[in-house]
Amino acid sequence: MRRTLVFALCLAPVFARAQDAKPSSEERIKALEERLNKLEGAPAKTSLSAFNPAIGLSIDMSLVDANDKADFNFRAAELNVEAPIDPYLKGWAVITASNQNPAVDAEEATLETTSLPYNLTVRGGRLFAAFGRMAHFHDHELPVIDRPSSLNSYVGGETRADGLEVSYLLPSDLFVNLTAGAYDKMGAANARQDPASARAFDEFTYLARASTYKDIGDDHSVELGLDTAWTPFRTVTENTAVTGNPIASTFHQNTWRTLSGLDFTYRYQPTSGGIYKGVIWGTEVLHNDEGRFDRNTNRSTQRVQSFAGYSYVQVKMGLHWRPGIIIDLTEDQDIAHRLTSTYSAFLTYDVTEFQRLRLAYSEALVNVAGTPRTRTIGLQWTGILGHHVHGFRDR
Amino acid sequence: METIMKTKISIILTLLTAAADAQAALRVVATTPELVDIASRVGGSLVEVQGLAKGTEDIHQVVPRPSFVTKLNRADAVVYLGLTIEHAFLPPLLDVARNPKMRTDAVKECVGPGCIDCSEGVSVLEKPENLSRAEGELHPQGNPHYNAGPDDGPIIARNIAAGLSRVDPAHKADFEKNLKAYLAELDAKLALWRRWVKPLKGMKAVSYHKDVAYLGRFTGLEFVDTLELKPGVAPTPTHLEQLVKEMKEQGVRLIVREQQYDSKMCQWLAEQTGAKIAVIGSMANALPGTETFVKYSEKNLKDLLEAAGKDPS
Repeated sequence: MRRTLVFALCLAPVFARAQDAKPSSEERIKALEERLNKLEGAPAKTSLSAFNPAIGLSIDMSLVDANDKADFNFRAAELNVEAPIDPYLKGWAVITASNQNPAVDAEEATLETTSLPYNLTVRGGRLFAAFGRMAHFHDHELPVIDRPSSLNSYVGGETRADGLEVSYLLPSDLFVNLTAGAYDKMGAANARQDPASARAFDEFTYLARASTYKDIGDDHSVELGLDTAWTPFRTVTENTAVTGNPIASTFHQNTWRTLSGLDFTYRYQPTSGGIYKGVIWGTEVLHNDEGRFDRNTNRSTQRVQSFAGYSYVQVKMGLHWRPGIIIDLTEDQDIAHRLTSTYSAFLTYDVTEFQRLRLAYSEALVNVAGTPRTRTIGLQWTGILGHHVHGFRDR
Repeated sequence: METIMKTKISIILTLLTAAADAQAALRVVATTPELVDIASRVGGSLVEVQGLAKGTEDIHQVVPRPSFVTKLNRADAVVYLGLTIEHAFLPPLLDVARNPKMRTDAVKECVGPGCIDCSEGVSVLEKPENLSRAEGELHPQGNPHYNAGPDDGPIIARNIAAGLSRVDPAHKADFEKNLKAYLAELDAKLALWRRWVKPLKGMKAVSYHKDVAYLGRFTGLEFVDTLELKPGVAPTPTHLEQLVKEMKEQGVRLIVREQQYDSKMCQWLAEQTGAKIAVIGSMANALPGTETFVKYSEKNLKDLLEAAGKDPS
């Protein structure tokens, strides 16, 4: 009996501890609820690849027939990677493979600050400069198959540039964004400067842009932009192989160039239609003031002022169909009265949000007697894999 | 003389403090109209709430306007549904809003002290097993349309109260008091609505988009299919023919059309199957007289009951 009593007394504290440690049903339910809530709110990415950048790819191809000469055109496979770098910086790169030369090229490799004070943002590296409205769109983002001839001719295609940009958002109810930039040059196909060679700061291109936006009621809005890209000097050396002169002349004075632009966008977007219903009317006018050079001899010719621009209207008719027209007028930068007029009609069919077909017809005419009219018909097919967006600016 | 001077200074300081307090209302941006309503109720006079999406819009297609950027730029907090439902507009807006209190994030949409995610604690339905675009426009974290579930209102309100208290801890007691009053009102409505929807339990229905899971959970309606082929992928003729067959086989008598989607297709489907159409809102203010969460939820339930031939009782 005494042995049993001692045994019971020894075990009693153990049972008591076990009783004390056991949580109540209410506590257990609460703990379970907390765990469940954490699981339900947990991010989808839980693997080691969670910190990898977002990756996307756009594939863009077309079949083009120009004056009865047809061509399957591998326009681009555009790979983008994008991620925050640290609390202060994010970065992205856009690598493009195409049938152009070079076949693989870095279109963008950009760093951008994310937490500067005073509403400032700095971006640098290889970037698409903030000039104009449509010039900084990637090819597959354009509302038409081919970039308007005015942008190809005056900007040099996309506004690709190696340099630095600072932008400032005005802290007000009205959206006003101001941008200043300095670049080696601006324009992917702009051959005025070799981006790989060093030069004096006065041979850089400097940009200033101001843009604003205003809602007019719930369904209408207007957007206005004004910009100028100024290159103070160029150094151009005469091509003696063509001229035959024993000593090459070098031209530096009066070589400045100013490319100015004004862009206007009107949007009708009924709130019940989302992004799939409405009208966009976009217009952009460019003015080029430049000391020109002979294309063969590289000798200075004269200062020429010329204008170019386009205007387009696109109607969004629902989930799938987007017809539109675009008119482009481009004066020759050497001979301003030589005007190329291009009239195009296009019809876009969005199969889904990530797949698109587009049919376009255009006629181009130069106002020089005897110049044949160019008729082009094109069919474009574009698909997007993964996360492939070019941000708020290119909306 | 000195006393008079001191009195004047103290009066001026008191007035300045009062003026500062008057201007100290938190600037809150809410992504949808029902969040504007609940944030206004919970925040009371201590917050000034601005909205982004209109109720008539499809939340998946809200256009990110520059005028939204200026709102977010100066906001102290942004209240959002989360679960990537605002993917079309909130991440690109936060990306350019330059507000250190709220930054864009690939997974959570928003990170920073000003981010108030209303989905925390929601029992998320329809988490996808297979993440592929071949399955349509999926939300990786599950169905994000919990704002259509009346019983998720209290969770939203609690999240907003907790978020506002975090942003402005000095007024935590005020937010909790407002929350208590709002929840009391909501609880009474929920009890009433639960009685209303009893006749809907087990009734089969189809919807245009897969955004009625939470409404289905509350009402007991069994949603068997959608007009869309896959989420975000428009209906095809073949799919609609199969849907007609499926509806007839399963005895589906109710078509739920979210007001932003095509009415003609639903009308055609109703003619083919004899089912009735209920038009509901996916957000507050989608339909006239639904500017608050309570009115929006009540209108949706009434319209479902009416189309189903049942009376709220």
